[in-house]
Amino acid sequence: MPELRHWLAETAKKGLGEAPFGFARCLRLHFARFYLLEETADLDGRPIPASLVFMSEVDAPLRLHLAELADVAQGGIDQAFQHCTGYPGPGARRRERIAWLRRHRVRASAFYVNTVGRGVAQIRGEARLREELEDYLDRCDHTGRTATEVRRDLHAYVAGRADLAWAAKPPAPPSLLFRTHEALHMVAVPAVLLLALPVLLAVLPVWAVLLRIDERRDRPFTQRPTLQHLEEVASYEDFSTQNPFAVAGFVRPGRLRQLTFRAVLFLTDYGVRHIFTHDSLAGVKTIHFARWVPLDGWRRMTFASNYDGAVEAYNDDFINIIWWGLNATFSNGIDYPPTRWLFFGGAKLEEQFKNTIRCHQVAVPAWYAAYPELSADNIENNAQIRAGLRGDMSPAQAEQWLSLL
Amino acid sequence: MAVKLDLDDIQGLIARGYRTLPHARFTIFAAHDAADGHALLSWLLPRITPAGRFAGNSALHLAYTADGLRRLGLAEGVIAGFSPQFIEGMTGPNRSRFLGDVGESDPHYWAWGGPQDPPVDGLILLYANSPEVLDAKQAELARQLDGLALRQITVLDTLKLGNNEPFGFHDGISQPIIQGLPRASGAASAGTPGGRVVPAGEFVLGYPNAYGQLTSRPLLPAAGDPRRLLPRDPAGSGAADLGRNGCYLVMRQLEQDVAGFWRYAGQATRRPDGSGDPGARTALAAKMVGRWPSGAPLVETPDRDDPRLGDHNDFGYYRTDPLGLACPVGAHIRRVNPRDSLDPQPGTEASLAVNDGHRLLRRGRSYGPGDGAPTAAGNDSHTERTARADVTPQHQTGLHFICLAASLIRQFEFVQHTWLNNPTFHGLYDDTDPLIGSRDPRGATFTVPARPVRRRYRDLPQFVRTRGGAYFFLPGVSALRYLDQLSADVSSVPFPSSVTR
Repeated sequence: MPELRHWLAETAKKGLGEAPFGFARCLRLHFARFYLLEETADLDGRPIPASLVFMSEVDAPLRLHLAELADVAQGGIDQAFQHCTGYPGPGARRRERIAWLRRHRVRASAFYVNTVGRGVAQIRGEARLREELEDYLDRCDHTGRTATEVRRDLHAYVAGRADLAWAAKPPAPPSLLFRTHEALHMVAVPAVLLLALPVLLAVLPVWAVLLRIDERRDRPFTQRPTLQHLEEVASYEDFSTQNPFAVAGFVRPGRLRQLTFRAVLFLTDYGVRHIFTHDSLAGVKTIHFARWVPLDGWRRMTFASNYDGAVEAYNDDFINIIWWGLNATFSNGIDYPPTRWLFFGGAKLEEQFKNTIRCHQVAVPAWYAAYPELSADNIENNAQIRAGLRGDMSPAQAEQWLSLL
Repeated sequence: MAVKLDLDDIQGLIARGYRTLPHARFTIFAAHDAADGHALLSWLLPRITPAGRFAGNSALHLAYTADGLRRLGLAEGVIAGFSPQFIEGMTGPNRSRFLGDVGESDPHYWAWGGPQDPPVDGLILLYANSPEVLDAKQAELARQLDGLALRQITVLDTLKLGNNEPFGFHDGISQPIIQGLPRASGAASAGTPGGRVVPAGEFVLGYPNAYGQLTSRPLLPAAGDPRRLLPRDPAGSGAADLGRNGCYLVMRQLEQDVAGFWRYAGQATRRPDGSGDPGARTALAAKMVGRWPSGAPLVETPDRDDPRLGDHNDFGYYRTDPLGLACPVGAHIRRVNPRDSLDPQPGTEASLAVNDGHRLLRRGRSYGPGDGAPTAAGNDSHTERTARADVTPQHQTGLHFICLAASLIRQFEFVQHTWLNNPTFHGLYDDTDPLIGSRDPRGATFTVPARPVRRRYRDLPQFVRTRGGAYFFLPGVSALRYLDQLSADVSSVPFPSSVTR
């Protein structure tokens, strides 16, 4: 484990975009990371072996992504996974490697995407578009011109640039198949819940009382992260606008909590797929991707995200904005500050919450970001700049649009 | 919520900035061994100025680093109760990256407090109403330090306290109003951005903070304080509270390139024929600051300075200037205190409440050539003098930045990293604080929103460099008494330097 961590960290210092991973050549890869979960024992004392976690956020079908990993990143992937049980050796065929990766895939219970359907190519293209427009504005004198006239100038400029012609068209939507699937899911879940309503109405009060009884046994979280742990985690943070975040911990024992956890994640999945699909996770605008992944048959959970800014600011957003969501999810894990009625308390206990987050944070020694200096806010702004190139605008709208630049 | 502060135990620096004591000198020291450290503490203890009623002609305060507390014999287990940033110190590689102390501000180039410099034990802050009193008090202190063979790592002189900081702008206007202090009872209603009363626990440990909770601080079992010198944990645990009535003190020596700042502003605003435009130069400088040289806020007077508004502080941004057309979103004062412009609900009480968790109580003093307080930048003779390319400052000038806070990470470090040095602050792309931000490796753009098109200033030079600094703890008087009596228990074995990190 220490050698693998060291190798990952050293390789990441040179950049995972370069060989042996060559992630920069994976044109639909947003983020990728490796982190290690130490060997441990579960709450019943059953051993859990050490594991290596690889996560990637990609806007391509799984089949293509695995093929790309096997082709482009083979050298790095082989070196990282050679430490794992059963990974095919260096002489293995491409097909075996892909099959192993597919077999070891762990599905997320919920997966948040800042803006569904916005791919790497679009993000990078729109960032370049903005830079070109900004440079154009810097070069020209706009004295005495109205916003509408300046907008017309920018139109003409883009139209005259063959390499920017794509920007005049709206971005392609996700595939029809994907949209149909999601639309069906959006309708089907409430429909099923509606059918089950009589049962739910009968069960929910009992569940709420049982949960409250369980919560009353909660104790404040008094542990503080060690300096050594903080230093290790921090040594991989704050090198660019974005940061990787990862926590891991045990799910509380007992059927009540297992059931609650699964139900909350089921609803979280619904929320991130159909409600929080554009620009904000219930008010938090700094998260690019986030996922909740059960491990070891729901005995453990890991949560990982790619976000903007520092972990302190991230935690403050948790406390000030989506405390209710954090509580509903993570209070089903051990070591969480005491909650009331699932949603209240918990994250509002600032220091206890920050300490439990830091204590359960896992260092991410190797992390790749395709556009590390763009905040989620920047990406959304760039998309709006492009959108404003189309259609008619009143003078006030043109003025508003120009303020994006 | 009514809060009664123990003003006789709290050091006076928390309650007042000593406007009546405009002369100050800061001594950074290290002791060779525990005995010397204790002898100094015993001598200083009766001279410390508490926060209660004050009418003297001088004041003295004392703060320690984690190393300094160790040298006095405070056990590691107790020190572990302080915040991790305090224990780690300001110059660890993770902290430097976080604070923007990179490039020219790298601690390896610091005048004091850097990794190559002698470890700092503590800080003595001396204030006086006249240079003579200050000199006399300082001489007395120096004799004491010499007698004990303590090392004065550096003595930092300051300029006579005036209204302006060295760039020439009226400074120190916006300070948090602390609950429980006299100013709070006379403050405007809590709903306005400038007149908000911030819970005492944001600045004094052992009182409820902005979340209504007690910030963690070192507690020790009651048995560890048999003489009951320390207050007891207000949470009722029965523990002796070493942190109560104290707070963290951040000290940073920030060197200001005053000539470079005005030179840049002058060059960037030249007329097409190449001639200088003093009005435009001052206006650009004001855009960077967010206030005019008189202190008048740009949101209230966007086009010209108005000295009558020099002390105005009761304004927000969201309703009057959401796009930054008057005060740019990236301007210095809009970054260090965004008031009501924060997500998730800008313009509301919720936004102001988020802001409350990131306030700093500033106690800095300027330093530089000893010709009194700097002249206002609006004064042409000053700007002409400093804007001329051939002017090389004979003496370095800047700010001995001091701020007090209950949480280093949520207050000082957060403001420094997430607001001040963040190139993507509030939707920006490559703009750090135009006045004091780091430019390394990004952040050299300053965007001034305007109709129909914003103006971008690229390749902004860095105007402020960090030249020294350390994290201190400013204990309550009882805590100092407790530290003092530890002398009975510790031998005078030299302090092992291996424990410092």
